[in-house]
Amino acid sequence: MMKKAIVEFKDFSFKYKTQTETTLKNINLTLYQGEKVLILGSSGSGKSTLANCINGLIPFSYDGEITGSLKVAGIETKDASIFELSSHVGTVQQDTDAQFVGLSVGEDIAFSLENRSVTRDVMLEKVDYAATLVGMEDFLVQPPFHLSGGQKQKVALAGILHDEEEILLFDEPLAALDPAMGMAAVDLIDQIYREKEKTVLIIEHRLEDVLYRHVDRIILIDEGQIQMDATPDELLRSGLLKEHGIREPLYISALKNAGIHFSEAEHLDNIEELDIAKYKQAILDDMKAVKSYQAPPKDELLLHVSHVDFSYGERKVLDDVSFDVHRGEKIAIVGKNGAGKSTMAKMLCGIIRPQKGEISMGGTNCMKLSIKEIGTKIGYVMQNPNQMIVKDIIADEVRLALTLNGFTQEEIDKRVSNTLKMCNLYSMRNWPVSVLSYGQRKRVTIAAILALQPEIIILDEPTAGQDYHRYTEIMSFLEDLNRNYNITILFITHDMHLAIEYTDRAIVFADSKCIADDYVFKVLSNSKIIEQANLKQTSLVTLARQAGIEPEAFIRHFIETEREERAHGHE
Amino acid sequence: MKEKSKLSLLLGVWNTKTIVGVAIGAALFGVLMVFGGIKVFTNTSLTTAMVVVVVVAGMFGPLPAAVAAGIGNVIADLIGGWGFWFDWSIGNFVLGFFVGLLPIYGAKIDEGIFTVKHAIIYVITVIVGNAVAFGLVTPLLTYLFYSSELTVTWMQAFSAIISNGAVLLIVGIPFLFLLANRNAKKTNLTKED
Amino acid sequence: MDMSKRLFINVIPGKTFLDKLSGTTKVRLFFSLIILLIATWDFRILFPVLLLGIVGLVSIKPNWKLIGGLLTFILVVNLFNLFLIWVVTPDYGRDVVGGSTILFSVSSRYVVTAETLWYFLIRLTKFLASFIVSLTFIQAITPSEMAAGLYSIKIPYKIATIVSIAFRYIPDISRDFSDIKISMQARGMELDSKRTGLFTRLKQYILILIPLIIISFERVGNIANAMDLRGYGKGKTRTYYSEHEETPNDRRMKVFYILIYLSILAVIFCRIAFPPEFQVWAPWI
Repeated sequence: MMKKAIVEFKDFSFKYKTQTETTLKNINLTLYQGEKVLILGSSGSGKSTLANCINGLIPFSYDGEITGSLKVAGIETKDASIFELSSHVGTVQQDTDAQFVGLSVGEDIAFSLENRSVTRDVMLEKVDYAATLVGMEDFLVQPPFHLSGGQKQKVALAGILHDEEEILLFDEPLAALDPAMGMAAVDLIDQIYREKEKTVLIIEHRLEDVLYRHVDRIILIDEGQIQMDATPDELLRSGLLKEHGIREPLYISALKNAGIHFSEAEHLDNIEELDIAKYKQAILDDMKAVKSYQAPPKDELLLHVSHVDFSYGERKVLDDVSFDVHRGEKIAIVGKNGAGKSTMAKMLCGIIRPQKGEISMGGTNCMKLSIKEIGTKIGYVMQNPNQMIVKDIIADEVRLALTLNGFTQEEIDKRVSNTLKMCNLYSMRNWPVSVLSYGQRKRVTIAAILALQPEIIILDEPTAGQDYHRYTEIMSFLEDLNRNYNITILFITHDMHLAIEYTDRAIVFADSKCIADDYVFKVLSNSKIIEQANLKQTSLVTLARQAGIEPEAFIRHFIETEREERAHGHE
Repeated sequence: MKEKSKLSLLLGVWNTKTIVGVAIGAALFGVLMVFGGIKVFTNTSLTTAMVVVVVVAGMFGPLPAAVAAGIGNVIADLIGGWGFWFDWSIGNFVLGFFVGLLPIYGAKIDEGIFTVKHAIIYVITVIVGNAVAFGLVTPLLTYLFYSSELTVTWMQAFSAIISNGAVLLIVGIPFLFLLANRNAKKTNLTKED
Repeated sequence: MDMSKRLFINVIPGKTFLDKLSGTTKVRLFFSLIILLIATWDFRILFPVLLLGIVGLVSIKPNWKLIGGLLTFILVVNLFNLFLIWVVTPDYGRDVVGGSTILFSVSSRYVVTAETLWYFLIRLTKFLASFIVSLTFIQAITPSEMAAGLYSIKIPYKIATIVSIAFRYIPDISRDFSDIKISMQARGMELDSKRTGLFTRLKQYILILIPLIIISFERVGNIANAMDLRGYGKGKTRTYYSEHEETPNDRRMKVFYILIYLSILAVIFCRIAFPPEFQVWAPWI
């Protein structure tokens, strides 16, 4: 049987009205009915523009010039209305909060039906059906505020499962989810794909996470052009990923580190089916070649958290938590949402106070200090830089905290220029914040906190939603700060890559308790902790197990190798 | 043709983006009115809510700004629980419209355009708007709706004029300059040593 | 601001008689009572409406702790307003009620008349009734039902959407507000009213408002796209998931509010056809 084309780009180009350069250049691409396709690309590659062309937001919401042709379900999109297209293409967007427009789960699932004036009895039936498909049938009256990102996304998915839409489009579905939720989402998408026989398009840059379930085809996009249109195996073998700003799956990097070339290997996309036994010797040889891990000696004790408890009303969120932080450490605070890690961060900043136990810094009991006083010892950098930036000029933003704290003019000037130099912002000090990129804004917020010369800085999800390139930019900046100025950094994160690559130690929270405080490689190779904390088993562990190698030693080796490579990169 | 474009500038384009912008504006207005104010006199408080209206106006025009202020006031009544006072909601609607006239004179906060000339126009719209809204419309409606006695209504209206005016001028002007600068698109930046 | 402070309006529907009515019924009933309260100065109408409001409020089993403080506040404010009126025009009753029966006098100017007190009683009743009816309405309706109800009285659904979208994002905005406030405090901002003057506090509010407004309006594009992608604004009409079918109780209340709308017409007709000499009726005049 001939496959039926459902999305057809022919010599298609698009230029936004507000931009001088063409964003999509001469795209020729055909997607067939019933396919499951990953459209892969970094931020700014043009992948989201491509998605918006398919669902009709371009040209409906974004002005610009279209040349060539794009047919979706046989409709030429430039002549169609977004409403006509919306009955063929259902879109799940990346911002789980913004797309939840209903005041309850049921209402949000019903939203497209309401707009079509479907009568209420039909609507109720359809909402129940769609909610059951995604497993949200018990939450219909719930308002969005208390739902997790994963639940909100299920609701968004249910909202486009009212049978009319034959194409399901997922625009960065993993951006707002923690690792375990991300896996569940990939799984759910796959399940709907199989049961409902829809055409599924996933737009993502998180390759390894999407490959958790099979995809038929991957379209790699960069600079507005299709770089490769291939099966996952072909793509992984091609070695094109890094140069187009896509992170390789960890197990692929690990195998490459061991000097393995897999021109002939099959099932590269699925580690479970990959025949690892034949590589075991190469891996073991490589592990011998590199010197074994030595824990860095611990510096002076900075922060001492001792048996703290905290409850919101009846609900206990921190239960007998203790840990120490030493000067110069980089620590990952990990755990699923609601496990207590954000509460712990709030407590360290003095926003909430322990109901039992004690926090002390260098012998001073922090409970006696005000938020403002603690702010000069422990700095807190929020996730979204726009939540923090107040002033319009970089230097003014850095100066703000110093002025508020009443330092002398001389001291302020000295600190501002020192901090700006530390953060490589000195030459841009008189620039307006509005022209800065996301990564640069992040640096400004960090500088604004560092100006107070805190002993410790806490970063809340510093890389959330960022692609590999921006992630590397932000993290290598922080690594430099730590190395050159011995600044102690706590990362609140659920990104295991971050923990592996950039931290020495992980403090793991689950169900309001601190369940582990150990080297990252030890935490990650302990499946009990992984499960309890809703973390994702990294593919390194799977790889090691399949090869019959001790996972702990293998991860430790991997971390060492990667760091060494990065250190060489610096020289 | 030009007449028509002025009119459409006044009314705004009511597409989905405008609806959402007005809704977010109304939500911010309501939240700031209930939680972000400092009580001055019965029924009135020194609130920063009105600056939100200027932002909505800058993005969508005077009528959307007025709707955001009017509905924002209803929302404040709803979340604060102090009952509906339509006379005040309509007063805020009228003031919102006046304050929202700024973009007609070329100020575009979301594109970083706000000059001294705009600030002066802003002062005038605030004064005229306050006078019309709380000096005329609200007392008249209060008189019609609830009370046949005007003295106390006048006193409340007067305090509203003073507090709203003060906030819009003292807080509003530096706020608008700062916000416009935050949104400014500047080019030709050079790195300095 | 903190989110532990509950909003007065509930998002999840309650279980009492009034809660279970449809949004349409609630909105129409509310407007009928409010318009009636606005239209009349007759104690014989105002007082029963006040009683009705009290019965309604009690029936929805509200959180009295929350309401108690507010009721006291409204009462104090209104009594104070009445006192101000008395200070300005002590013999106000003469103008509106049409008599000046002096009960006692404080000085030659400051007299207390039966007519003024009667007017004050009516005014207080009118205000309290408006307040209690509004409060009952607020406590008994959810924002979604309100959107559906507004649509049912022919208000364009785009306006109804503004109300429901606003309520959808109020919790998010509140959370952002307190997050930003805390981060500014950690950077050294002093928000304690005892330590900083009014003017400084206002200036500091600007610092909090800037990021709050920027991130709040950042969402607009994404929300609008999400709505457009699901066909919002496509049709001239719309249906509401939250709006259930008319129940027998809705039909009973329909008869009730139709009667009230008719009596509003009657009240207005009477005032035009037989204009009273004085605005406020009193049994002894």
